[in-house]
Amino acid sequence: MCIFNAMQAVIELKDIKRSFKNHFWQKKKQVLEGISLQIREGEVFGFLGPNGAGKTTTIKIITGLIRPDSGCVSIFGMTPHSLSAKQRIGFLPESPYFYEHLTGYEFLKIHAVLSNLEKYKERTFTLLERVGLKDAMHVQLRSYSRGMLQRIGIAQAMIGSPDLLILDEPLTGLDPIGRKEIKDLILEEKSKGTTIFFSSHILPDAEAVCDRIGIVIQGRIKEIGDMSTLLKKGLQADKITLEDWFVDQVKATAEKRGTTR
Amino acid sequence: MHRVIAIFENTFKEGLRQRILSLLGIFALLLIVVSVFLEPFALGEAPKIMRDFGLAVTSLFGVLTTIIIGSALIHRDIEKRTIYTVLAKPVRRGEVVLGKFLGLGALIALLVLAMLLIHQLIIFVQEGVFEPSLLIVFPFELIEVSVILGILLLFSSFSSSTLTSIMGVIFFVTGHAMPDLKLFAESTKVEALKHVAYGFYYLLPNLSNFNFRTDLAYNIPLPADQVIFSVCYGVIYTVFLLYVTTLIFERREFK
Repeated sequence: MCIFNAMQAVIELKDIKRSFKNHFWQKKKQVLEGISLQIREGEVFGFLGPNGAGKTTTIKIITGLIRPDSGCVSIFGMTPHSLSAKQRIGFLPESPYFYEHLTGYEFLKIHAVLSNLEKYKERTFTLLERVGLKDAMHVQLRSYSRGMLQRIGIAQAMIGSPDLLILDEPLTGLDPIGRKEIKDLILEEKSKGTTIFFSSHILPDAEAVCDRIGIVIQGRIKEIGDMSTLLKKGLQADKITLEDWFVDQVKATAEKRGTTR
Repeated sequence: MHRVIAIFENTFKEGLRQRILSLLGIFALLLIVVSVFLEPFALGEAPKIMRDFGLAVTSLFGVLTTIIIGSALIHRDIEKRTIYTVLAKPVRRGEVVLGKFLGLGALIALLVLAMLLIHQLIIFVQEGVFEPSLLIVFPFELIEVSVILGILLLFSSFSSSTLTSIMGVIFFVTGHAMPDLKLFAESTKVEALKHVAYGFYYLLPNLSNFNFRTDLAYNIPLPADQVIFSVCYGVIYTVFLLYVTTLIFERREFK
């Protein structure tokens, strides 16, 4: 039985555990070992961790693509499978593959209709302009570059004017210009009051846009707090950037558990 | 309903842009070659054989395309993760299943209709007349394709694309062998085998119910009661398959 606070957070996870096994003869691998966190309204929350730490699994649980083995998930006080909750969410998956045969316009139109938008044409054109793809709107997605795909991916996430944007590794694989463009989009959404939950292992980018961060290592939240507080913590330990501090945390956890990365 | 239409449109476009209709060229060529070579060996029966052959090839092409395109399109969505952005929207999974079913169904319907029209054209070129009564086969082909699509969607909701394709072929072959299975069940002396054979006969889809091709090719009137039974059987079986698919798909995880 999950009981959440009356003052609901936008996302609330309580002691989420999840294990997987690739084949039925293999032993289950524990991917999440009790993740708990609360995301507040209007904040940009960076969910950071090395590859395989459990970031994408957590995001899939939040978006209802998978279910936790145990623990509670609440999105705007509802279950992730609720259509009302989904109406308020925009989601960009990790390394997304989109329908290659569709043009940018067709792709956004479908997601606008799925988001129950009535005046989808206007919104679609506005967003194409905003992500800088108006000139490529009639080009099939198979001809888009990685950066263009990432931008059209963010546009589909934003199409329903969601209150919560969930972006899984939105900056991975992009060149510096592409990263700057996506960061600017995130900051623009933040200024409108949208809550943003994004995962990354590119720490300097997180430093640039996040209000708070949570660091997940081997399926557990290692640190969570305000960006400024964690930066101070890093500096006190003579670490110049969050990145240095983060690497130390990963190494310390691996040593403690007798594993290597 | 608008969400189902959006998924229907997307599925239909995706299939069309994969140049599925290029199959029509192969179909037309096959019919022309067969009709040219058939004439000397047919002992005056060439027109009837040509009608029967044309309808049989139409059906076979329709079903094979359904199996190949059907299992590929559905699994590509899952394996390439294109379905993630769709499922994250306020969409019921049943709407996704229905949209995919209608999109693929419309695509195959277009293909089958085009093949039937090519068949008519070849008959006209050879004999100087059209045979519109042969087009009555179209709704029955559609019902058969619907049942096969239902089976493909059911297996894609929990298994791999290879298994889905294999099951599609198995159900197609066994579906047309149902009258033989019934004969076996009636004639076998082993009680256990009789029960098993009857079990399969009533459980598995009987695709021979939709086969009126020979009757149409030889201008034999279709019995009304059999037609009504076939339509009801096909519709009920398809709805049942889509319902079970939705139940499984709603519980499916995307790891």
